[in-house]
Amino acid sequence: MIRSLLIANRGEIAVRIIRACKELGIRTIAVYSEADRKALHVKMADQAICIGPPPSKDSYLNISNIVSAALNSRADAIHPGVGFLSEKAEFARKVQEAGLIWIGPDPDAIDMLGDKIRSKENATKYGVPCTPGIEGAITNIDETVAKVKKMGLPVIIKASAGGGGKGMRIVRKIEELSDNIKIAANEAEKSFGDGTVFIEKYLENAAHVELQMMGDKHGNVIYLGERDCSVQKNHQKLVEEAPSPLVTPEIRKKMGEDAVRLFKGIGYSGAGTIEFLFKDGHYYFMEVNSRIQVEHPVTEMITGVDLIKEMIRVANGDPLSVKQEDVRIDSYAMEIRINATAPGTVTEYLAPSGFKVRVDSFLYTGYTVPPTYDSMVAKVIIGAPTRAEGINKMLAVLDEFHLEGVPINLELQKKIINTQIFRKGGFGTQVLDSIMKEIG
Amino acid sequence: MDTKDILAVIEKFNQTALAEFKYREGSVEFHLKRHADVVYALAPTAAPVAAAPAPGAAPAAAPAATAVPTGETINSPIVGTIYRTPAPDAPPFVEEGKMVKKGDTLCIIEAMKVMNELVAEFDCEILRVLVDNQHFVEYGTPLFEVRRK
Repeated sequence: MIRSLLIANRGEIAVRIIRACKELGIRTIAVYSEADRKALHVKMADQAICIGPPPSKDSYLNISNIVSAALNSRADAIHPGVGFLSEKAEFARKVQEAGLIWIGPDPDAIDMLGDKIRSKENATKYGVPCTPGIEGAITNIDETVAKVKKMGLPVIIKASAGGGGKGMRIVRKIEELSDNIKIAANEAEKSFGDGTVFIEKYLENAAHVELQMMGDKHGNVIYLGERDCSVQKNHQKLVEEAPSPLVTPEIRKKMGEDAVRLFKGIGYSGAGTIEFLFKDGHYYFMEVNSRIQVEHPVTEMITGVDLIKEMIRVANGDPLSVKQEDVRIDSYAMEIRINATAPGTVTEYLAPSGFKVRVDSFLYTGYTVPPTYDSMVAKVIIGAPTRAEGINKMLAVLDEFHLEGVPINLELQKKIINTQIFRKGGFGTQVLDSIMKEIG
Repeated sequence: MDTKDILAVIEKFNQTALAEFKYREGSVEFHLKRHADVVYALAPTAAPVAAAPAPGAAPAAAPAATAVPTGETINSPIVGTIYRTPAPDAPPFVEEGKMVKKGDTLCIIEAMKVMNELVAEFDCEILRVLVDNQHFVEYGTPLFEVRRK
C-alpha cells in the first residue's frame, strides 16, 4: 500500500506528481539539489531532502543519495518522473532491492526496451510493423554496404543504446556510407559507452506519431490514443497534439491492437509510449519510452484519464481503472512547450486559465530559473471540440501568458501554430523548416 | 571597447544568473565564466563566496564556509544515517573539544547498507557536534562545528 511517495525529479513534472499524490492522500517527499532550494516542488511537498550539489550527476542522478533519502523518510514508493533516472533499469532495481515500490515497468523490460535492436526484434516478434532495414547490429561494413546497395538509399544509421539524435546519421550517397558508420559508432561509444549501430531505411519527412499505453500487473494493457509530435527542432518536440490529423479511427485501432500485443507480450505494466514513424497511411515502429512523457497532459485532456494517478494505482497492484472501450477519442487537445532562452529571475508571472485550459509549470514571482537544468519552464495545454477551434483557442490562451524576467520562446510558438502549414495539418518532422520559411 | 566598458560588462554579468558569456567585436574578444562552485551561491540566502575552493576540493568541506555563520562546519557529503561510533557499545570517534588530524575518522554515514567513513580534510578542533547519533542527514547537513589548526 503506497502511503508515502518520493519524487526523484524536479520542475513541473515533480509538481505534477505531488498534485496527484495529494489527491490520493499520499504523503510526498521531494528531493532537491542545492540549486533548487527555492523550487516549487520543494515548497509543495510534505517533506524535502537535499540530495546533492547543482550538477545533475551529483544530485538528481545520484542513485545512492535518492534511495537513502527514500528509506530515511520512510517512503513506500519512488516515482522517477521524466528524464534523469526514469529509464535507468539499474535505478529501478536498486529501488526494488531496498524494499521500495518502483513506479514504472519491470527493470528487465526497461533494459530490453532501452536496447533499440532488441526492442525492434520484439516488435517484429509480436507483429508490429517496423521500418525496413538490415537486421541486427552492423558487424561487417563491406557486407552492410552491399546490403544497402540492394535495399536502396537513403538510410539512417542509429545507435542501439541511442537517444536524442546522438550516434544517428542519415546517408544519401553510397560512397559516404562506410565512413558514416564509423562516425556513428564512435559517437555512440562516446555518448552511451556502447558503439553498437544498425541501419534502417530512412523515411523522408515522416510524421512522429506515438501511442500512450498503460498496463497493470494483472495482464491488462490499453492504448489511450495517439499524439502527433511532428513539430520538432533538433529532435526536441515543440508542439504536441491529439488526435493526429493523419490517423483515421481504423488506423488507430490497428496501431493500438498491435501495440497492445507487444506490451502484453513483454509483460509491461505502468505508463509507456510507443513511438512510430508515420508515412502515407503506414506506421513503422521506432521505439518504446518506458516512462511517463512530458506531453502526457495532451492525452489526459482528450481521454479524461489521470495518467499519473493511474501509474501509482497500478504500481500499488490495483487493476487499471479504465477499460479499452471506455477510451473515447472525440475531441482535440494541444500542448505548447514554453522554453526559457536564458536563465533569469521571474519578476512577474500570470498564467492563463479558463475552460479546458491547463498550465503545468513551476514558475512563481521571485523564482530564479537556474542555468543548470532543462530549459522548459511551462507547458500550456488546451482542449477543444475540433482542431481548428483548438488552434484559435491556443492562440488566445498564449496571449494571456504573461511572464517577465525570463526570456521565453512564446512569440515563436504563437507564430508556428498560426502558419498556413500548421493549420492545414498532416505534416512530417521536417515541417519546422517550411514553417520557418513561411514565418520569414 | 575600453577597460571601463569591460568592467561594466563584468559587473552586469555578476548580476545575472548566466554561467558563461563570450564576446567578440573586431579584435576585442573576451570570455567570462563563472566558477562552477559559485553558480548556486547566487541564491539570495547564500553569503558571498570570498574565495572559491579549488576544483576538486573535498565536497565535505567545500560548502562549509557559507553554511553556518557562527563558524566553520564539516558537512555531510551524502544522504544517509550518521553513526558516531564504530560499534554500538564503542565510544564515539570524536567528542567536543577533541583535536583531530587530517585523515582521522569523524563518523560513519550509512547509505544503502554501505558504511562510508567521513574523514577530516584538515587538522582541527571539534567545537560542537551538531547531529545526534543514528540521525538522518541530508546532503550538506552540518555535522561538526570546527576550528582549523
